[in-house]
Amino acid sequence: MKILGQKLNRRFFLSLFSLSALSTFFSKKAFGVSDYRRDKNIPKQYVQNRDRPGFFIRSANPFMGVDVNGWSLSVRGMVKNPITFEYEDLFGLKKTSQISRLKCVECWSATAQWEGFRFQEVIDRVQPDINAKYVYFQSADSYYESYTLKELVRPRVLMVLRMNDKPLSKDHGFPLRLIAPFKYGYKNIKYITSIEFADSRKRNYWSNHGPYSVDGTIQPGTDHPLDFKKKPLSINGGEVFHPFDKRPL
Amino acid sequence: MRRFLFVVFSLLFIFTCNKDEVDQIEVNIPIGITVPEGMVYIPDGDFIMGHSDYPDTEKGKVINMEAFLIDRFEVTRGQFSIFNPDYSFHPQKARFPVSMVTFEQAQGYCKWNGRRLPTEAEWEKSARGPDGRKWPWKIYHEHPNNGFSGFLPEAVDSREEWVSPYGVYGMGHNVWEWVSDWYISDKTPKADSKRYKVIRGGLTQTHTAIKFTPTYFRNKMEPTAHFNFIGFRCACSVDCR
Repeated sequence: MKILGQKLNRRFFLSLFSLSALSTFFSKKAFGVSDYRRDKNIPKQYVQNRDRPGFFIRSANPFMGVDVNGWSLSVRGMVKNPITFEYEDLFGLKKTSQISRLKCVECWSATAQWEGFRFQEVIDRVQPDINAKYVYFQSADSYYESYTLKELVRPRVLMVLRMNDKPLSKDHGFPLRLIAPFKYGYKNIKYITSIEFADSRKRNYWSNHGPYSVDGTIQPGTDHPLDFKKKPLSINGGEVFHPFDKRPL
Repeated sequence: MRRFLFVVFSLLFIFTCNKDEVDQIEVNIPIGITVPEGMVYIPDGDFIMGHSDYPDTEKGKVINMEAFLIDRFEVTRGQFSIFNPDYSFHPQKARFPVSMVTFEQAQGYCKWNGRRLPTEAEWEKSARGPDGRKWPWKIYHEHPNNGFSGFLPEAVDSREEWVSPYGVYGMGHNVWEWVSDWYISDKTPKADSKRYKVIRGGLTQTHTAIKFTPTYFRNKMEPTAHFNFIGFRCACSVDCR
């Protein structure tokens, strides 16, 4: 018996065994894959968890960040017109901005001015199938997130290109991220590379790797805002507005 | 023989000491009043509303109320879909509380059913009875889902051990519930007096710690809000059908 031109004899199995044993002596880096998820020695230039004053950085999969020359946004799945956007194309979409608070599931929160386009801009161009009720995002750092289409057309959900009057930084998701202010921070995916419309729901990264729900709606409870010295303040659930935050009209 | 009796009495003791059972108030329903199926008769009389440690509540004031009827369970997804056929849900979750409904949709359902949303006072009396208890079931429990972040609703009739002294389910857990009152406290600016509706009786969460809310705990929400953690139940006067 042969598989891929190789005889399935004792020699074949011995060589297979020795090859797999040898592979354990090489780090994943030797094969061009960097996975620092369980590694404390993350290179300094990598995007990684950092408690920066004013706005903490969280990264599930540390990586170098996106080179925009090799980046594009693919929108596909159950749509009439699949589209691939280059970075410049996104600036041709109707722009809007808002101030909103990003509330991390770990307790802290921080505000910023976010600028970008509504998800409806994407819908109008790709024309999803009537049965495409779910949307699946993938990112350049192997992260993934899952939403219902209904959630993405809520008024304050924004596809973000700029933060505080500057292009998104590497730490905050350059070139494109999502801001859904009524969802915990882990739902606000960064470095988006693809958007897929589907008729069934997929799981997200943190429901597969930790004790966090796929839904991720901010629950009533307590927040520790970084702009309030992390002092505890109660929150009602949904988008977080503290007494010192300006609510949208 | 002695050993046999010891075993018998021990078993009897264990079975009669069910700590999860909530003592129920014996209520005499006046002649001429028919309580519709799925509702509970709450008698007239005094009850303690709010708590002195919570300044946005009635701070422990004694309130006298007429008798009324309230739904024993939160309105389910299956029930709501009869009112609104566009409301879709997983068939295995028909007994789960309806959620993602605005105040207006909740009010519309109750009206369609010949009822109304409970007032905040009606809701609180149904949850705590006349003895001013903090938890509907009187004794403190840890929430069993601690360690998970997210909302896990349950079937509306699944927690017999967490009923109120009148036998009303889901008043300190499962979904928060719309009530008819606007949220007003001593600190509410006049311009906001009709901005938020009160929601009652859900869970709070901080990272992976889930907590029950006390019977007097008030939360507020803009009436157009619709989230997975907000549902409702209906109430009516004693003569409704």
